[in-house]
Amino acid sequence: MRTALAIARKDLRQRIRDRSAIVVGVIAPVVIAGLMSLAFNGVNNFHFTLGLVELDHGPVAAQLVKALDAPQLRQVITVQDVATPARAASEIRSGVLAAALVIPVGFSAAVTGEHPEPLTTLTSNNATIAGDVATSVAGSFVAQVNADRLAFATAVAAGAPKGDASRLIGIVARLRIPLQAVESPIGAHELKVISYYSPGMAIFFLLFTISYTARSFFVDRSQGMIERMRAAPVRPVEILLGKALSVFVYGVVTTAAFGADWGAPLPAALLGLALVFSVICLTALVIGIARTQRQAEGIASIIIFGLALLGGDFFFISSAPSTIKHLALLTPNGWAIRGFTDLATIGGGLGTIVEPVVAILVISAVVGAFALSLARRAVTS
Amino acid sequence: MTHVSGNGGTAGTGSPDPSRIPVLDCAGLTKSFGMRLAVDGVGFRIFEGEVYGLLGPNGAGKTTTMKMVCGLLEPDKGTISIAGRQAIGNLEVKALIGYVPQDVALYPDLTAGENLEFLARLYKLGRRTVAARVDEALELTELTDRRNDRLDSFSGGMKRRMNIAAGLLNHPRLLVLDEPTVGVDPQSRHAILERVQAFGREGLAVVYTTHYMEEAERVCDRVGIIDHGHLIAEGTRRELVAQLGEQDRISLSATGDLERLAEACRGVKGVSSAATAESSVHLVAAEGRHLLPAILEAADAAGIAVTSVDVVEPDLEAVFLNLTGTALRE
Repeated sequence: MRTALAIARKDLRQRIRDRSAIVVGVIAPVVIAGLMSLAFNGVNNFHFTLGLVELDHGPVAAQLVKALDAPQLRQVITVQDVATPARAASEIRSGVLAAALVIPVGFSAAVTGEHPEPLTTLTSNNATIAGDVATSVAGSFVAQVNADRLAFATAVAAGAPKGDASRLIGIVARLRIPLQAVESPIGAHELKVISYYSPGMAIFFLLFTISYTARSFFVDRSQGMIERMRAAPVRPVEILLGKALSVFVYGVVTTAAFGADWGAPLPAALLGLALVFSVICLTALVIGIARTQRQAEGIASIIIFGLALLGGDFFFISSAPSTIKHLALLTPNGWAIRGFTDLATIGGGLGTIVEPVVAILVISAVVGAFALSLARRAVTS
Repeated sequence: MTHVSGNGGTAGTGSPDPSRIPVLDCAGLTKSFGMRLAVDGVGFRIFEGEVYGLLGPNGAGKTTTMKMVCGLLEPDKGTISIAGRQAIGNLEVKALIGYVPQDVALYPDLTAGENLEFLARLYKLGRRTVAARVDEALELTELTDRRNDRLDSFSGGMKRRMNIAAGLLNHPRLLVLDEPTVGVDPQSRHAILERVQAFGREGLAVVYTTHYMEEAERVCDRVGIIDHGHLIAEGTRRELVAQLGEQDRISLSATGDLERLAEACRGVKGVSSAATAESSVHLVAAEGRHLLPAILEAADAAGIAVTSVDVVEPDLEAVFLNLTGTALRE
């Protein structure tokens, strides 16, 4: 163990002196974290300006305008009156408005007539969510109006006197569609975008440790240092352990430098340790497979970007195709991101991370068992 | 193998007393890489206070032999014992060996002190011992004032000295120096050779591999001559040279086809071997001085103009030439 510590200490000393390692391991995570914080600031408080082109001025249109001013919508939508649909389209193009709702002339009259006048939402390709929300609000209002129409027609068909129409309309107007789809999140907290991407990016930078350490091994070997170590009473496994310890420390520093909200400290730390263990095994795999420094860098790059893409470091894995979702379960970083997002949303303690940690350890054990024999050969050859 | 027996006695004056326990005793070392037989049945013994030279051209099997001795390669066959302890696969025995590889094996981005401290820690020495050994190694190689300088700021000679210093950190009983003067300037080379001789005087057993005949002659008490993986002769310089009897080594410098010149010389009665090396042809011949007219006549007949002739006393180069039919630096 003393020998492994000496090797780890030496490796870290060299890494501190290697500016590129400092940039990738510490400075880049800090800068990226800052940029992400700026980029995602406000993403979770979704809000947009909706243009309203009110050409009808009838009672039903007035109801819609009132609905748009409801307190629950005010958090999401700011309504801005616009004179014409053409003007609204222009302001959407220029980015002043995210979407617009056009209430056509005769909209109120059409409610009781035979010729429908459709509500139209103008949307932008650059603000699809705002367009979806505007269309959804309009659709919801139309559904309510149609339900009112149906109720009124049913009452009349059942024999209610038509002269009582104003009373019936009053009753109908107070009714609301009884069945509603209600969202009930299972997590204690909403998943914030930064809570997903911060660990994702931190893990991505942690994966770069594979490349650095494998490169360091092959540099050592080309400089005759592995041979020199082996000429001393040092076992090959001690050399690998020393390298692994330096990966560990560097990995912890890299992830800490990211300063993300990792959730409860102990579960987050255990998850992080499991992930660093997997990085150690992957590093051993690269050392075992590669024959030269250049090969090691190439193989490490393939592994890093392959895992980052499959594991969901760059995108929400929940919105990925099912094949990717299944492949993510074969990646340690995929499980780690899952664990960290669970900690951020569900919260809780160790129970939350048991499954991800076990999965990461199993993947690591499989990779590690294969890699260790190869890496030993690389040390002794 | 031509084994030359001396008078026994102490190192440096003749072959060692076989009743003493050797620091290194290897026998029948054999190593193949695929189909290529790199070392075939090599065996020799080295005693305390003795500098043993393993002399041979590049690719003769010197480094492979040294790597087997140091536990870096496992022999296919043979035995190695260090200070009476079986060495193959024995990790503890490595603590008795100081290994100085052919190329400088140190970290250029660490200081001299940091390099030595790291390497000393590999021997599981205590903190104080490490510090003392580092001081000692720096002092020995006269690099104390460069302790805090990075290796990449050192000259080639200084790096070579550091390379040797690193092999001494564990106070070895056997010091293995694998061509330690390759690419070194004459001044540093002189200093290194002086130091190697001093190691022997101080009681270390030293194996010194080289393809420089002059170095082997200068620093080694005994020399083993290795070629194509075989140890073909062993003994003190005097013993080896004595094999040649009255033969001289003649060096002919010439312009033109040197192989043709060598072939022509081989036809001269009394020339026992001829080989080309660099820009000259080396001959071993009985009473060489008397053969010169015949040799020059043969060269003339072959159409080769000899530009200079040098007749030298028998040396290890002549021994090698005589034994292998090729020049050492071919």
